[in-house]
Amino acid sequence: MIAIASGTQIFCWIATMWSGRIKMRTPMYFVCGFIFIFVLGGLSGVLLASVPLDLQVHDTFFVVAHFHYVLIGGALFPLFGAFYHWFPKFTGRVDDWIGKINFWILFVGFNLTFFPMHLLGLKGMTRRVYTYPAEMGWEHANALATVGAAIIALGGIVFILNAVNSYRHGDVAGANPWDSGTLEWATASPPAHYNFVNLPAATSRYPLWTDPKERVVVTGMCDDRREILVTTLMDAEPHHRAVLPAASIWPFLTTVLTSIGFVGSIFQFSWYYIGMALAFVGLLGWFWPRKSVEAES
Amino acid sequence: MTAQRSIDVAHLPIGDVSDQAPLWWGQLILAFIEASMFFILLAMYFYIRLSYDMWPPPGVQLPHVGPATLALVPLIVSALGSYLASEAAKKNDRGGMMLGLGLNLILATTFTVLRGVSWYSFNFNWKTGAYGSIVWAIMWLHTVDTVADMIFTAILLLLLALGYTGVKQRLGVHVDSILWYFIILIWLPLYVAIYWGPYIVGAPK
Repeated sequence: MIAIASGTQIFCWIATMWSGRIKMRTPMYFVCGFIFIFVLGGLSGVLLASVPLDLQVHDTFFVVAHFHYVLIGGALFPLFGAFYHWFPKFTGRVDDWIGKINFWILFVGFNLTFFPMHLLGLKGMTRRVYTYPAEMGWEHANALATVGAAIIALGGIVFILNAVNSYRHGDVAGANPWDSGTLEWATASPPAHYNFVNLPAATSRYPLWTDPKERVVVTGMCDDRREILVTTLMDAEPHHRAVLPAASIWPFLTTVLTSIGFVGSIFQFSWYYIGMALAFVGLLGWFWPRKSVEAES
Repeated sequence: MTAQRSIDVAHLPIGDVSDQAPLWWGQLILAFIEASMFFILLAMYFYIRLSYDMWPPPGVQLPHVGPATLALVPLIVSALGSYLASEAAKKNDRGGMMLGLGLNLILATTFTVLRGVSWYSFNFNWKTGAYGSIVWAIMWLHTVDTVADMIFTAILLLLLALGYTGVKQRLGVHVDSILWYFIILIWLPLYVAIYWGPYIVGAPK
């Protein structure tokens, strides 16, 4: 059952890449690595789902290899890729070159660590053991895995150093270093606190790839308070403007008052009721109408 | 991003009292989350019943249906108060909002008192086995919701009485009615389970 859903996902990713114009930069390296590793993890998962094989390799290193291929392939590589993808946006700096080396270190280290575990599992090495008899013939594969683990650690160090170095000395990224089509790349890198001077209106799925003549922005929002535009649900037509709360001490006070109740209830339960009453006072202060807001509405 | 065209929204109203408001949707989603809690409790109720031969277990009386059924009358009529208040909120009619909320609050209080009478007649409490625990849990959660919304309604009524009739308060009145409809609707299956469940599925297996 899992194989059907996961298989569909993989074909969707392939279709997305197929229909796109791929730029082989660091994030794409991690995405390709993710698909490669995750497919291998998925295939060994299909094997594990068949009872005869599961009887043989249950609770062995084959299982360890399988789920590391799934987890590291499915979660860690995409996370690294996402970090490299949005790092230019949140720092304004980009450094592509070391990122690719970083990918290769992690990719080689990962496969060197976990691929031999498939073989170890087939040779009968059980999981959750810290040592084994010398005559089992598992030494070489385990030694490879140990070397691989050291390489993964090196990859982690390179990743951290690269992030620090790129932040300090990387090339200036500009608003859209990847020529992406989505709106987060329309604003400066790093974005200002207000994100956009004028709210952009999306006229297509990839607004930045549309003809600049087609681009639309929203004007007329107040810039002296926190105001958002609310659109209709289905057609996204501008409907009204909503004013969000301004800075206020009351949320903090409410937190403190609630904490008094919970910390107190450790010692005596009646503090729980006192805390609830205090929190109620905090909420009341928080939501009590302010004259300034009233005057506007 | 350089743009050739712009959409001017300066003429649009500030705030809105309708189902377009984000708060309205927030309240609706809150109701969904809360409803899933109640349905989990309902599932627990019937799951626990499977472990017992008799329901309620020996020593626990059958529920008294009378006061709880009587309580349904003010509860259902109180929806009228919510409806009047939310319609008045759309028209910025302060008197109508206060009338609706006041009617709602009086009927909700009547309902809660009748529930108290019904609850008082239980000869078991939350420590009396799994039956007592699950019935009390359902009653407690629904009562907490009810009382919370009554406090919310009372505060709105106070704000209106003090002359705060801004769009935020009116939207508050409007979403208050959403929450109250939810409290009424969710009580109906809970009422059937707690008060009629033992009569319907209670016979020894």
